[in-house]
Amino acid sequence: MPLRETEAIVLRTYRLGEADKIVSLFTRQVGRLRAAASGAQRPKSRYGGMLEPLTYIRLWLFERENRDLLRINSTELLESFFAMQGDYRVQLAAQYIAEAAERFLPEREVNERAFRLLLAVLRALKASREIDRPLLYYNYWLLRLAGFLPQLEQCCACGRALAGEEIFYGDETQGLVCSRCRTSRSRKISGEAFSLMEKMRRSPLDAWMASEPLAPAVREARRLFETWMEACAERKLVTLELLAAES
Amino acid sequence: MSVFAGPLSRLIDELKRLPGIGQKSAQRIAFHIERAAREDAERLSQAILEVKDKIRLCNLCNNLTEQDPCEYCSDPTRDQSVICVVETPYNVVGIERTREFHGLYHVLHGALSPLQGIGPEQLRLKNLMERLKSGSVKEIIVATNPNVEGEATAIYLSKLIKPLGVKVSRIAMGIPVGSELEFADEVTMLKAMEGRREI
Repeated sequence: MPLRETEAIVLRTYRLGEADKIVSLFTRQVGRLRAAASGAQRPKSRYGGMLEPLTYIRLWLFERENRDLLRINSTELLESFFAMQGDYRVQLAAQYIAEAAERFLPEREVNERAFRLLLAVLRALKASREIDRPLLYYNYWLLRLAGFLPQLEQCCACGRALAGEEIFYGDETQGLVCSRCRTSRSRKISGEAFSLMEKMRRSPLDAWMASEPLAPAVREARRLFETWMEACAERKLVTLELLAAES
Repeated sequence: MSVFAGPLSRLIDELKRLPGIGQKSAQRIAFHIERAAREDAERLSQAILEVKDKIRLCNLCNNLTEQDPCEYCSDPTRDQSVICVVETPYNVVGIERTREFHGLYHVLHGALSPLQGIGPEQLRLKNLMERLKSGSVKEIIVATNPNVEGEATAIYLSKLIKPLGVKVSRIAMGIPVGSELEFADEVTMLKAMEGRREI
């Protein structure tokens, strides 16, 4: 029964029996996995607040052959995002990040870039208490790292270059289309939102957060990516619905 | 073919659906019931049916009750100016055991949990807001669980209630009585430091 050490971000927890918890984790060295933490619900649990959703921890895990569920041996806190609960919209955004990570990152597949993305976006949310720019950045990179990002320079139907064209998107196309390939349900995307996406793709998160793009264009681009996220996930993301109600 | 006779097998299947009861425990309880006197079995089934027939939610505080309003809301000796907001009816029992709180309760029947699709609409907040309109309530004590969901609910409530001119307080978070500081994790210790009080 080997003991593994890894860094991880807690995505969510489930109650298990009277005193235990199942913890869904995105680990740096193993990828996404689930592990049991015995006694984690007890008031004097040795885990304390370290297994709360979106906590960045180092943990030691026992792994048994032919068993999906690992067992947590001990944990050490690296960074807590508990203070983000002070703002309901920020909490919704943080939980959306966790839900999307669970949906898009396959189990037991190491993805160092996705791990760094998750951590960086959580830090940006914590520091800025703003949700639009961090979420837009997260959506774009998560789709890209998970291999779902559609072509953004060309029409996904006819392959025509989109620069200087009227651009549309819709639930049914999962990509951008030109005015000739649009359907009756396609929605137009503004030039500001399109050029904003161009800028974001070339910027590291710090530079992106330091820039001051037009808020309506950021929201428009965010909506576009969220439409693709749900289309790729092939189901509604529950946190997205609550986020939309708060916006 | 089932190993047990039909009625026994059905009873085991029903018991297995209860929280914390697995196959072995269900078998043990089922055999105990089979061996018990008929009156004992009748009392048990009657008690289960009575819970289903007679227990309902108090219209004022949403606590589980046989009479409406519940015994806490209808007790004139309790302090009507303080309401303690909790997540579940079990939490009321936990606070009552202290014998130190003499105010009223309000049960939300959940906490904000976006990942489970639980938003403000799913919580029982409407009748809490109606109780506050009367103007007799001076303080709301938010006693939701000290976790992410409970904390978010507490903050949400404070933003909703404070504009009405009602004091909103939060139960303390920190080191459990009887434990030792060296075993406290950083988040708990931080909360304990933040919630320190003058002595």
